[in-house]
Amino acid sequence: MASHAFIHWVRGLGLGIGPGVIALLAVVSTAAVLAWPRPERGGLEFWTFAPHHTRMYEPVIESWNQKAGSDHPDRQRVSLSTLSTGALAQRAQAGFWAQTPTADLIEVEQPMIGRFVAGPIDEVGFHDLTDRLREEGIDQRLNPASFAPWTSRGRVFGLPHDVHPVLLCYRADLVEAAGIDVDAIETWDDFERLMRPLIADLDGDGKNDRYLLGLWYTSLDDLQVLLLQAGGGTFDAEGGSLIASEANARVIARVVTWCLGPGRIAIDAPEFSPSGNQLKLEGRVVAALMPDWLAGVWINALPGLSGKLKLMPIPAWEPGGRRTSVRGGTMLAIPRTTRDFDAAWAFAKELYLSPDLARELFVTNHIISPIMDLWDEPYYAERSAYFSGQRSGLAYIEQALNVPPRSSSPFHQTAMQRILDTTARLHAYAQDNGVHDDQALLPEARRLLAQTEARVLEEMQRNVFIAGGWRR
Amino acid sequence: MSRRFRQHPAWVPYFWAGPFLLVFAVFLAYPMLLSVKMAFHQNAGPRVAEYVGTQNFSWMMGDPLFWTAVRNTAVFAAASVFIQLPASLGLALLLNRPQLRARGFWRAIFFAPVLVGLPFVAILAGLVFEKNTGLLNVALHEFTSLEVTLPRKIGGQTLGVPFTFDIEFPWLQSYVMPTLIISAFWMYVGFNMVYFLAALQNVDKSQLEAAEIDGANAWHRFVNVTLPAIRPVASFVVLLSLIGSFQLFELPYLLLQETAGPNNQGLTLVMYLYQQGFDRGDLGYASAVGWVLAIVLFGFAIAQQVYGRLRGADL
Repeated sequence: MASHAFIHWVRGLGLGIGPGVIALLAVVSTAAVLAWPRPERGGLEFWTFAPHHTRMYEPVIESWNQKAGSDHPDRQRVSLSTLSTGALAQRAQAGFWAQTPTADLIEVEQPMIGRFVAGPIDEVGFHDLTDRLREEGIDQRLNPASFAPWTSRGRVFGLPHDVHPVLLCYRADLVEAAGIDVDAIETWDDFERLMRPLIADLDGDGKNDRYLLGLWYTSLDDLQVLLLQAGGGTFDAEGGSLIASEANARVIARVVTWCLGPGRIAIDAPEFSPSGNQLKLEGRVVAALMPDWLAGVWINALPGLSGKLKLMPIPAWEPGGRRTSVRGGTMLAIPRTTRDFDAAWAFAKELYLSPDLARELFVTNHIISPIMDLWDEPYYAERSAYFSGQRSGLAYIEQALNVPPRSSSPFHQTAMQRILDTTARLHAYAQDNGVHDDQALLPEARRLLAQTEARVLEEMQRNVFIAGGWRR
Repeated sequence: MSRRFRQHPAWVPYFWAGPFLLVFAVFLAYPMLLSVKMAFHQNAGPRVAEYVGTQNFSWMMGDPLFWTAVRNTAVFAAASVFIQLPASLGLALLLNRPQLRARGFWRAIFFAPVLVGLPFVAILAGLVFEKNTGLLNVALHEFTSLEVTLPRKIGGQTLGVPFTFDIEFPWLQSYVMPTLIISAFWMYVGFNMVYFLAALQNVDKSQLEAAEIDGANAWHRFVNVTLPAIRPVASFVVLLSLIGSFQLFELPYLLLQETAGPNNQGLTLVMYLYQQGFDRGDLGYASAVGWVLAIVLFGFAIAQQVYGRLRGADL
């Protein structure tokens, strides 16, 4: 009966049966979507990008949530979501652009930060924490260099998660079997000279398979580590350009010669890739630049190398030079759209300043906390079976205060990418002209970097919001 | 059927088209109009904008990166048209032969890569073209390690010199564009083949037979009968291929791990647009790039129409 009535009704509308059913379904589904109960957003929402962070934070959050409510009415429950790095960056940016709520707390990885601070300072989507950090003395408790990536035009937008000093990790089994004394290595010249006998043709095809360094001229991260170590990079603390600095020219010329010609010492063994891991397991990489977090990655991903590795300070660019660098970083930031800044700030401090979390950070991920008064904790002094019984935590802490400062310019990532492109052009030049000596490459390196610097400065001048560079 | 339609009230077409028109207006027409305005502004996100006149366009014309993107995109488009499409046509001709056994199977095999999807093609290509452990380098290295010799003149004599393919051959460092072209070739050759197959099946058999009776050989039959008959479809496929090539983004973006590759060898116009708009937040400049791209594509469409009319092809 009802169906007849429906057919009669849709015919009355001038629609056929099929279109009538489609129209009815459209109306019903729209009504269902509109009527569907939406879950109430309660408590604080926290986004992170790293599954291993999630695993570490879950117990802390559980304990926080148990106390939230009646015992501690000032506390709000926290729910944690893990997003991929790209998704997190896109969602946060879309939220800031549209001024719609994102999360109440967001972990930001260092390469992302440029996009969030690219506009006028009062348009940055995160709360400015500078005054809070100062008033509560937190800036004095944390490693000063750890704030640099999260500072834009003098304002700090996040609580730093780490220090990330870099050491050189080497195959102790191979090096010691060859009778090489690593204590005699102070500079990169020493490293090349003393380690060179380890370059080897392992399969007898007439071509070397084992090289001294797992590094390639196309790797932005490794290049940045070396540039910062040498005193170069993109911009200095005052915002002046370092792009065409002599340090940068020397480093890119040297890196190019490491990757080609008779002086080659490097092999392309990328991190987080099956091919790179295979090369490391096969003993085709003697040494690699290793920030503390990467040590944690290797411990978990390359257990086959346990007991075969040791850590040492990075060889310096000149006698007496810096023996460490820095790579990566994370901050915890509070978006301006948070519904309760005080609650979010309370949780951020609880999480990032927690001694328990600092311990967990090191034990599970080999990451050194930026909280300096925890650096005497005994777990940092424990011997690591993975690193052949070395006190690997202390090895990183010894270099923590020597970590070079990093630029927080909104143009940093662009400038770094341009320096990497310049290195690729220098590599092509060296290959095409058969120039395999870094001293001979220096003039071309200087010329190309000068071009690059001019272009980056032009790009910066073009930015009407931060005209004249980010200094203003 | 037609009588029933005539009986419908006048509002029915609008009723059915309404949802589409609404979506079209909100998500296409309005953003398009807005992007014209934005192209004359510099932005830090959508809300912060400052009028800069035609500066976005003048900067673009003077930006070497823009021209790198144009060159890379044009090379890719040329390879699509001059390498990929002839190969698709060749495959279609082969698979259109009645005497070929299991034609359906072969057609499915060649079409299958399209079903994989571009992101997966990029991931697979990464595994294939990786140095040291990549499938292609390992295979070529192993194969040439057996006993491959290359002729080389030594002391006035041509001798066979042992040759071994370099297992570190840097596809993704120094040969980015060939790698992209090969990957896209693998994916799209079967896709375009389907268009050509459909066109070939509509070629008038009696004309081919008449030409054969008149003594035309296979080449002459192809050039004088088959090709003119499939020209409308061929021009459509060329246009489609050009548009697709100028929209190239996912393949290099994923294959090169969200970068443009060493020295921007994999930078395409859409990737350039994406970098400016979404990495840097300058949606105004990205809009300007988008409009230049749209004008280029529109130019191709017009050129194809003019060419079609000149050749008497009625699309």
